[in-house]
Amino acid sequence: MERRTSILVLVYAFLVVVSIISLYELGERRVDVYVSLNILAYYVTYAVIRPTYTSRHVRVLNIVLFIVFALVASYRVYEVLMK
Amino acid sequence: MSLNRLLVLGINILIASALLVVYGLLIGDSGLVGIGLSTSILGGVLAIYSTIPQDPSLVALANYSNLLVNAVTSTLEDLDLLEPQICAIKRSDSTLLVYSKIPCPLEVDPGIGFSGGSPYLAIPVNIPTTLYEASGESTSTLLERSLTAVLVEEFSACKSVRVEEESGQYIVYITGLAEVPKQFLEKPLDPYTLLVLTVSSSVLDATCVKLINRRVMPDGILLVLRAEKSGAED
Repeated sequence: MERRTSILVLVYAFLVVVSIISLYELGERRVDVYVSLNILAYYVTYAVIRPTYTSRHVRVLNIVLFIVFALVASYRVYEVLMK
Repeated sequence: MSLNRLLVLGINILIASALLVVYGLLIGDSGLVGIGLSTSILGGVLAIYSTIPQDPSLVALANYSNLLVNAVTSTLEDLDLLEPQICAIKRSDSTLLVYSKIPCPLEVDPGIGFSGGSPYLAIPVNIPTTLYEASGESTSTLLERSLTAVLVEEFSACKSVRVEEESGQYIVYITGLAEVPKQFLEKPLDPYTLLVLTVSSSVLDATCVKLINRRVMPDGILLVLRAEKSGAED
């Protein structure tokens, strides 16, 4: 596998593990927080270590994750506005 | 990490995370459900990243190019074809990449020979992947998709391919060239020209595809092609 992609996968997996452990230890019980932080970790890693080559599936994955993140964020904003 | 190992790892994480979600739901711990969903995204990302083109394709292309260039360079020198007309001629079972002084000599056989009083070198080439079928789209779009499938997705030889059609000519822009095949650009035969001509002759349904112009630019390479149904001995 291309070196950049390997680094991306490793860094992303590390960030996910760190974020999961930290959130659980902090007593976080909201599901969407875990999901949105995971997606954020993915995008930060992707932006910093941009893989030289991608495939069509990766582009679809990027769009799907963005939609999920947007839905989670908009749900939270909606919740705040309705209070 | 190879494709299969990453895919297996991703699927394993997906299964484990699904079990974690079920367990979290059963004991009513939403934190565990969150962890399960989060790790399922990780598993999905790993599984999808296993589809990125692997190095071996690029290494194979580099080795093939190296062997071909070493063999072809001295032959072209001996045939006095260092500034040749290059074209791809479609045959039933393969495509012949022809180096000649005259454009598109159709009466050629694989190897070295004479056609129209001029020496030629014909290299048989086969595309290793299945190309897209025409489905009502323009030929330039079909060519772009096919070249992307071969150059970007199969060989990772570049980042993007763009094709424009202008007055019967196809202008192919290849950008983001990979380091390994890029070193062949100054050689008489480079993998980009070879693959573009071969794919074009298959996709455009033409007897002969001529290379009209080839320009190496700082960010890539530009190839201008013309497809001819009957070929020309001009």
